[in-house]
Amino acid sequence: MAYLWVAIGGALGSMARYGCSGLVSSLTGSALPYGTLLVNVTGAALIGLFAGLSVPEGRGLIPVSGRLFLMTGICGGYTTFSTFSLETLNLMSDGEWGWAIANMVGSVALCMVAVWLGFAAGLELNQVRGA
Amino acid sequence: MQIPKDAALLRIFIGESQRYHGHPLYEAIVMKAREMHMAGATVLRGPMGYGRSSRLHTAKVLRLSEDLPIVVEIVDSQEKIDELLPALDGMIGSGLITLEKVQVLKYGNGPVA
Repeated sequence: MAYLWVAIGGALGSMARYGCSGLVSSLTGSALPYGTLLVNVTGAALIGLFAGLSVPEGRGLIPVSGRLFLMTGICGGYTTFSTFSLETLNLMSDGEWGWAIANMVGSVALCMVAVWLGFAAGLELNQVRGA
Repeated sequence: MQIPKDAALLRIFIGESQRYHGHPLYEAIVMKAREMHMAGATVLRGPMGYGRSSRLHTAKVLRLSEDLPIVVEIVDSQEKIDELLPALDGMIGSGLITLEKVQVLKYGNGPVA
């Protein structure tokens, strides 16, 4: 069953990424990988939120199958480290070292802030429900 | 096969994801040109571009690399190009087609024109 939850979540997450990054790319009209940055940062916030909601001392809101579906499946399919790597390599290949470094540092920093904010929000929601 | 010195260069700008009867459009164009005994055809793929829709295509961003620019170049006499054009009409849904006069300096192993 675990693989099924991961598979369904992964399929939905990947489709959401495909749609999102396409939308961002057409809106920005830029040759810089903003779409990948957006899905990675929002995906980090999402997984943080789910993790915060499912901490042991929380309300036990999310069962194991739910975590597999939401975190491993949806967040895993939605975010993409491989595309981030490839697009950074592409920037390097074109000699755009400034953008390559900005993409690496910026992506990691923004994702860490996002996952932390998501996690904190999840803990807050636990409190609200526990009140 | 020979080409007169005063010939024509046909350029067809399309996208690599465009299809014609289940085949890539650029392939269908080359096959049609060959079938009509045109002097030759060359397909070029570009790393970046945009067209009428202003939609950006670039090999650098994975999501934008699905429909990279393709240019098909065909050189032959004006008469042969004129024969080919009606056949292409029904194949190319969206794209840019240009025609210019060129001078052929060499074609294949034949003597210099």
